[in-house]
Amino acid sequence: MAEKRKIKITDISNPNLNPLVEIKPTDTIELPPPYDKLENLPGFKKISESTRQVVDDSLDGVVAVGVPKPKSKEEEQQLVEKFISGLIKLFSKENNWTFLQPLILTMEHCAKCQTCAEACPIFEASGYEEIYRPTYRAEILRRLYFKYVKPGSPLLKKFQVGDIELNWTLISRLIELSYRCTICRRCAQACPIGIDNGLITHELRKLFSQELGIAAKELHEKGTVQQLLVGSSTGMTPEVVKDNVAFIDEDLSERLGIKVETKWDVYGADYLLIHNAGEFLSWPENPAAFAILLDAAGIKWTLSSDLVGYDGVNYGVWYDDFQLARVAQKHFEIAKKLGVKAIIMGECGHESKSMGIIAERIFGNEIKTINAMTFIEQIVFSGKIKFDPSRNYFPVTLHDPCNTVRLMGIVEPQRRVLRYLAPKFREMEPHGVENYCCGGGSGFAVMTPYNFLDWRMHISGRKKFKQILDAFKDEPPGPEVPKYVCAPCSNCKGQIRDILDYYGAKEKSGIYYGGLVELVVNAMVDLKEPFIDFSLM
Amino acid sequence: MEFIHFAFYFGLLLFLILVINKGYKIATSPVHLRWELYPVAHEKGKAKYGGSYLEDFEWWVKPRERDLLNEIWTMFQEIVFLKGVWEHNRPLWFGSFPFHYALYLYIVTTLLAWVGLIFDWSSSLNPALQSNLFDSLLNVLLWIASILGIVGAIILLLKRIFDENLRLYSNPSHYFNILLIGSLYVTSFIWLTSSDNAIGEFLGFYRGVFTFSSVGNLPVIGYIHFYLLSFFLFYLPFTHMTHFFTKYFTYHKVRWDDEPNFPDSKIRKKLLEQLNFPVQWSAPHIAADGRKTWLVIASSPLPTKEDNNG
Repeated sequence: MAEKRKIKITDISNPNLNPLVEIKPTDTIELPPPYDKLENLPGFKKISESTRQVVDDSLDGVVAVGVPKPKSKEEEQQLVEKFISGLIKLFSKENNWTFLQPLILTMEHCAKCQTCAEACPIFEASGYEEIYRPTYRAEILRRLYFKYVKPGSPLLKKFQVGDIELNWTLISRLIELSYRCTICRRCAQACPIGIDNGLITHELRKLFSQELGIAAKELHEKGTVQQLLVGSSTGMTPEVVKDNVAFIDEDLSERLGIKVETKWDVYGADYLLIHNAGEFLSWPENPAAFAILLDAAGIKWTLSSDLVGYDGVNYGVWYDDFQLARVAQKHFEIAKKLGVKAIIMGECGHESKSMGIIAERIFGNEIKTINAMTFIEQIVFSGKIKFDPSRNYFPVTLHDPCNTVRLMGIVEPQRRVLRYLAPKFREMEPHGVENYCCGGGSGFAVMTPYNFLDWRMHISGRKKFKQILDAFKDEPPGPEVPKYVCAPCSNCKGQIRDILDYYGAKEKSGIYYGGLVELVVNAMVDLKEPFIDFSLM
Repeated sequence: MEFIHFAFYFGLLLFLILVINKGYKIATSPVHLRWELYPVAHEKGKAKYGGSYLEDFEWWVKPRERDLLNEIWTMFQEIVFLKGVWEHNRPLWFGSFPFHYALYLYIVTTLLAWVGLIFDWSSSLNPALQSNLFDSLLNVLLWIASILGIVGAIILLLKRIFDENLRLYSNPSHYFNILLIGSLYVTSFIWLTSSDNAIGEFLGFYRGVFTFSSVGNLPVIGYIHFYLLSFFLFYLPFTHMTHFFTKYFTYHKVRWDDEPNFPDSKIRKKLLEQLNFPVQWSAPHIAADGRKTWLVIASSPLPTKEDNNG
């Protein structure tokens, strides 16, 4: 393990507003050529002095949330009081029955053996920066829980877990720190006791959102709030999304020489397909490929143009239980209204997890949900469509979205499809449930405020980029051979897009990315023209 | 009866009461939202690669197949061999394994001693018995436990002191816990080396405390050992070391909880109750007032500024 200046847990309360640590790209894990020369890589933006006047960057010089600095002692005190009030609610069954049991188990039984540390790609990629250690933020919450919530002798509690000073700088740093973990839960997987430090991130974000009203703007204001009010976190209204999809259908029909037709609001269809609405804007070929595949398989399907019904995004899953429930309930109501057999959750990891298992626990499973991986596999092996796998004769690797794979156990369907339809498919290492997060998990992929994009590229996404490069190391390194990263998740695609752009990997190495359904449609014999056109990507 | 009797009764009784109370509280805490982590050991045929029933198209029309044997086997490997530590933190395993194994052997020795007392197996207590096999077995077990325990405690203590990654997160209680458990092994080791009849004295103590009679010719080191044990029993439920039983919950009730919420299920009943809990969160978008229930809030449209002001 590389030597670093060891930040202590109590440093989080340090009133000095200089960042506790300085993040340097030189400390991150090495990449293979041509990405090994730091001077050729984009730099790491510093927060300007004028921004620092109003926004706190005292954790690591990076700003994801942008906590405003209190203007007076009274404001500081108010923040502390609100925090304590939220802390107490976080550990009450009425307010937080949703995660109370696992939270208390994690708070009270960690042996602090650090077995989880090496499992964290952010901790590793940062050159083992102490504040990113999975137990660092957990330990802060643990001390606060023992100090302010758990009954017992203060002396005994100090003896057991130590002490910590609660002040506004702690709270402000902790808010930022809760946005330095992608909740991939690799650390939890490694814990022999079953302690879940990823859950701590989740619960901290909830405390800040549900009590203090503080959350990443992209997740709350532009995320769930916009989705509930306008219809989609993209800002698209029902009219706009229908217009966009009509354009996509027309464009693809023209290019491919077949009719691409999206169905809207078909009452009595068998399946309601809900995409992450980001697909319509950033990767329109994905919903188009679904339309082609489902029609070719003779499936009765529909999209919904109801508010929220055309966007499977549910950012609530990362920071707010109530926002999660509000969005999920809309999805279920719409499915009920349309009378479908099941909802097909598009290629989106967090949509699948929030709708398929988390909201299912809240609202029951009268409305059935099917993950896109399972659904695509069912169609591919149904015998209804003819495929020619040689059309996918280019190197393909698979990224495992944490939400669908490690957290839902959907591992093999997508692999069975790729083994059949992508002759040059190869795995990343490690893969499956031991995968590394793309680095955009827990909403990071849509977050680019201040210098947070640099942090995502250099720290949280670094391990994944190395994995991608390693997966193709037996291929010619230059752009002459196109290489395809199959990332069946909108959020992961957003992050992988940003990584490949940031490092110039398309130009330097010919690395492209896309979903699973595009590869399936590309192999369809009925299509005269290739669906995947690298020159357009 | 001597003071050691009362110390032991106090320690054992509090241990049982506090552990049962903690277990009951955890077991009866609200049903949480699903938060499983794969591999889930009971997924028949899929656990080996981390798959789930969600991989099956229309899984809800298929019978769920659970592999309870694999669940038991997974836990067995985890508890007996500390498999997770072996795989993810090998340097620590060399201290943690002997430390934990010593505890297991010590518990086995103690339980065997109790059984032997009931069935009168000990030749030390009943010289009329032909065989001293039982006493020899306890002797061997206690020797191994003591040596392994001392080795494990020393390694763990040194790691906590010299490994900065551990030291930064260690509190006084961590050192104290190792020293306390280590002292149990040290005292049993000294006892075994200093007495020709340590097992007889060990059994004599338990015969005395369980029959409310004399603990026999217990040497000073025996007294120290059982005072330490009594304190340890009392102290344990207040520490994170209760993971010896809460691990059941972290694995079976969180990590491997993949139970669907079917109508008429137990989960459904509990959830209906929980959805009616009143909520107090203060953020404006929640619009809680301490009376509105969780479900009402989750089903309500986002409050407007006027709602919050009004």
